[in-house]
Amino acid sequence: YSGWLRAGEPIDESETLAKSSSGSRLPSLRVLPCLIPPSMAASSETKGEGTLRKAFGGVLGFFILLLIGALAFSIRLFSVIKYESVIHEFDPYFNYRVTQFLTKNGIYDFWNWFDDRTWYPLGRVIGGTVYPGLTLTAGSIWWLLNNLNIPLSVETVCVFTAPIFSANASWATYLLTKEVKGTGAGLTAAALLAMVPSYISRSVAGSYDNEAVAIFALIFTFYLYTKTLNTGSLFYATLNALSYFYMVCSWGGYTFIINLIPMHVLLCIVTGRYSPRLYIAYAPLVVLGTLLASLVPVVGFNAVMTSEHFASFLVFIILHVVALVYYIKGILSPKMFKVAMTLVVTVGIAVCCAVLAILIALVASSPTKGWSGRSLSLLDPTYASKYIPIIASVSEHQPPTWPSYFMDINVLAFLVPAGIVACFLPVSDASLFMVLYITTSVYFSGVMVRLMLVLAPAACIMSGIALSEAFDVFTRSIKLQLPKLFESPGVSALNAFCSDMNFKSGDIDSTQDEVVKVDNKAATDKSETAPKERPSKKNRKKEKEIVETTIKKPLKTKRLLVLPLEASAVAILLLIILGAFYVVHCVWAAAEAYSAPSIVLTSHSHDGLHVFDDFREAYAWLRHNTDVDDKVASWWDYGYQTTAMANRTVIVDNNTWNNTHIATVGTAMSSPEKPAWEIFNSLDVKYVLVVFGGLVGYPSDDINKFLWMVRIGGGVFPHIREPDYLRDGQYRIDAQATPTMLNCLMYKLSYYRFVETDGKGFDRVRRTEIGKKHFKLTHFEEVFTTHHWMVRIYKLKPPKNRIRGKLKKSKTNSKTNPSNSKRHSNLRKNPWQ
Amino acid sequence: YKPLCFPLASTAERRGGRCPSALTRLGPFSDSGKQELIMAKSNASDAQALVRSLRSAYAATPTNLKIIDLYVVFAIATAIIQVVYMGIVGSFPFNSFLSGVLSCVGTAVLAVCLRIQVNKENKEFKDLPPERAFADFVLCNLVLHLVIMNFLG
Repeated sequence: YSGWLRAGEPIDESETLAKSSSGSRLPSLRVLPCLIPPSMAASSETKGEGTLRKAFGGVLGFFILLLIGALAFSIRLFSVIKYESVIHEFDPYFNYRVTQFLTKNGIYDFWNWFDDRTWYPLGRVIGGTVYPGLTLTAGSIWWLLNNLNIPLSVETVCVFTAPIFSANASWATYLLTKEVKGTGAGLTAAALLAMVPSYISRSVAGSYDNEAVAIFALIFTFYLYTKTLNTGSLFYATLNALSYFYMVCSWGGYTFIINLIPMHVLLCIVTGRYSPRLYIAYAPLVVLGTLLASLVPVVGFNAVMTSEHFASFLVFIILHVVALVYYIKGILSPKMFKVAMTLVVTVGIAVCCAVLAILIALVASSPTKGWSGRSLSLLDPTYASKYIPIIASVSEHQPPTWPSYFMDINVLAFLVPAGIVACFLPVSDASLFMVLYITTSVYFSGVMVRLMLVLAPAACIMSGIALSEAFDVFTRSIKLQLPKLFESPGVSALNAFCSDMNFKSGDIDSTQDEVVKVDNKAATDKSETAPKERPSKKNRKKEKEIVETTIKKPLKTKRLLVLPLEASAVAILLLIILGAFYVVHCVWAAAEAYSAPSIVLTSHSHDGLHVFDDFREAYAWLRHNTDVDDKVASWWDYGYQTTAMANRTVIVDNNTWNNTHIATVGTAMSSPEKPAWEIFNSLDVKYVLVVFGGLVGYPSDDINKFLWMVRIGGGVFPHIREPDYLRDGQYRIDAQATPTMLNCLMYKLSYYRFVETDGKGFDRVRRTEIGKKHFKLTHFEEVFTTHHWMVRIYKLKPPKNRIRGKLKKSKTNSKTNPSNSKRHSNLRKNPWQ
Repeated sequence: YKPLCFPLASTAERRGGRCPSALTRLGPFSDSGKQELIMAKSNASDAQALVRSLRSAYAATPTNLKIIDLYVVFAIATAIIQVVYMGIVGSFPFNSFLSGVLSCVGTAVLAVCLRIQVNKENKEFKDLPPERAFADFVLCNLVLHLVIMNFLG
């Protein structure tokens, strides 16, 4: 089709044709361009106009891409405008601290860094447990800018890394979709990705997390893979491996790539689409990719030993077998090939079974069958809740609700099926890959909310394809039928006929006769409808005969879909309105829903905007009023922020790599004061930090997270039992709460002196009055409470030097109450008493 | 006693010293043992015929492709030697073993890719100049061995 001039080309081309063929200007000749092969109409002027139009299209496309990049960057700046240029959430603070270390100490110290200010007293090997892609990227940008004498601070670079890379990601989406469908679809997909709320949520300015860079790496790797698949060039295969290396450096989600690509190769082999380009696209990637993945310290030997990578090796072997089979088929005669097949199949099946048996034995010998916990929880969504409560407790690992799909990808949710259909007309290797990508990402997004992010690019590409195809059909219909509005009815009949006919792609020579014939006939019959139709139909028949007799290549009939003019105009209008709804929703989501840095909270009251800056207040107090070597204990949520902002050593942080250590802290929070003091003292803790939202109604405070502390603590120390803290299965903190709950450290530290605020102790989050209102702390003393009581810091009281009078009391007690000791020994053994 | 074709000598054609492959015609004449013997011998002769035809077909490939094939065989042999050595001696240090084996396998794979691109019978690559294919091969090998050098330890 692309070789033929599009129907409905501007008048001047048909005029030149008319001039060249019959020398008279005829409006009816506007119909002819739909028959004319380019070689007929290819006078130098039209050729020049064709390239001019292409050049204009290219420049327009370039500017559109620039605008898309600017859009992607600016839509993520709401948080900077509404709040300030600050790093959000929890994980980004760790990345920020690591980047600070990198910029200050250089790459060798960063690679070998052992951090002793976290997970006290265990420490953490940062070099070996962090994905270095993000920090290295931001570090290099900072270094480059500073060497160009643009003195941006590390924080600024960190805050704006995500918007820059989302612009890069939309350009990568353009490239990928161009490989699959074409330029128009590419531009649409890039525009959709620039704004999709799911991606915005993890890449606003300030969200300095792995996904900011990893999604760009993901799309770029997929682009290079499809480019290699389409061109068969080893150069792109090398680039593909290097881009995969960048992805491995950036995010743990790289296992998605190394499982999706083998799946696609297998699908291509099974559907008979094996080609040498497939071999060139896949085999170097496996070898080079595995090596490069082993280079990253976090992955190390996992690249060859964990089950996540076995699929790639298996498909590597299968691909080689298939390639060998095709090669032998090529050099042998069919008879000998059949003989070879029978011989090989008998031997080969035996060998395969033996190898499979060995493999299965090896894999089954490990309890998790070689998969890591996180991957298992992806495959079996109920795995984490049964075996690993820490993974289950992370809010990002919960399954998404149905409304969240509409919130996160909005209009794309129902454009995706149309895109899948469009990918099958016609099917190619790249479009098969896209279909596989969208189906797997839809499944995984249903398991974990966090993986909606992987769905977003696929949904954008599919919707881009669907929208582009739809616009194609509608604009073509309008273009074809617009001239009809301005013409005589005779010609309009011919036009209608022409627009419904079948295009035949074939010999150009044979069509020259038809052109001349139609030209002559059209020239002679000007104004009559019936005679016009008959000769044209006659011509059609003659052309058909000529074409059928002289045509040498097989016929490929492609019917161009043309819809009525009014319907297509209305449809285009509706599509534009749909796009407008999408844009409005995206901007609203970016501005209202996803731009909050959870470190600063705001609320609108009757007297304006109220800002809650309690977290930074507490960390600043810690930073300025405690010794450098003091240890701070809190729940693991706040570990990263404490080390980054308060610069104090913490016991547990968001990395959650040591379940026992977290369970220790959880047990301490769930125990009464004295045992808790013992636990914290054994860990050299000086300060305890709790987050309390009862005064202002902040719902994510430690009392709401307390049951997780009990569960995780109880998972390791059995004397903590969850039913002890629940009254009739209900979690309460009011007067009906259990005594264990009312005496535990978390309750006491949260509600100490709370009754002084309003006289009744009304908890705004739980919406009740608290149970125990007046109590004193015996082993802790309060040192700081923030302005809105959101963060409360307590100090461990040092043990008394001299015990006065207590010895006499215990002597008399031991004489008179021997039964007490017996009762104590009947209770569960508490390892700290 | 002439094997295989003896019952058919009178009825069937003899082509070039080999039997016609219509062995099923033997059915009503022979018992199962004889048939198995005949099948096994036919398998053997088929295998011989197969090997012969493979050889003759392969001899027709151009010399430059044969050189590439030789290089691939050399690389795979080196990899197998390394694996056998690892089996004897143990796999410590594992990164050296991995980098050694994967460098052999990697260069073999890249040589196969080069062979695909240089082979004149591949219609998809007829526009690709062989110099470009070789340059890509060298580049990819360079990247591969840079990584190997880093990982070797």
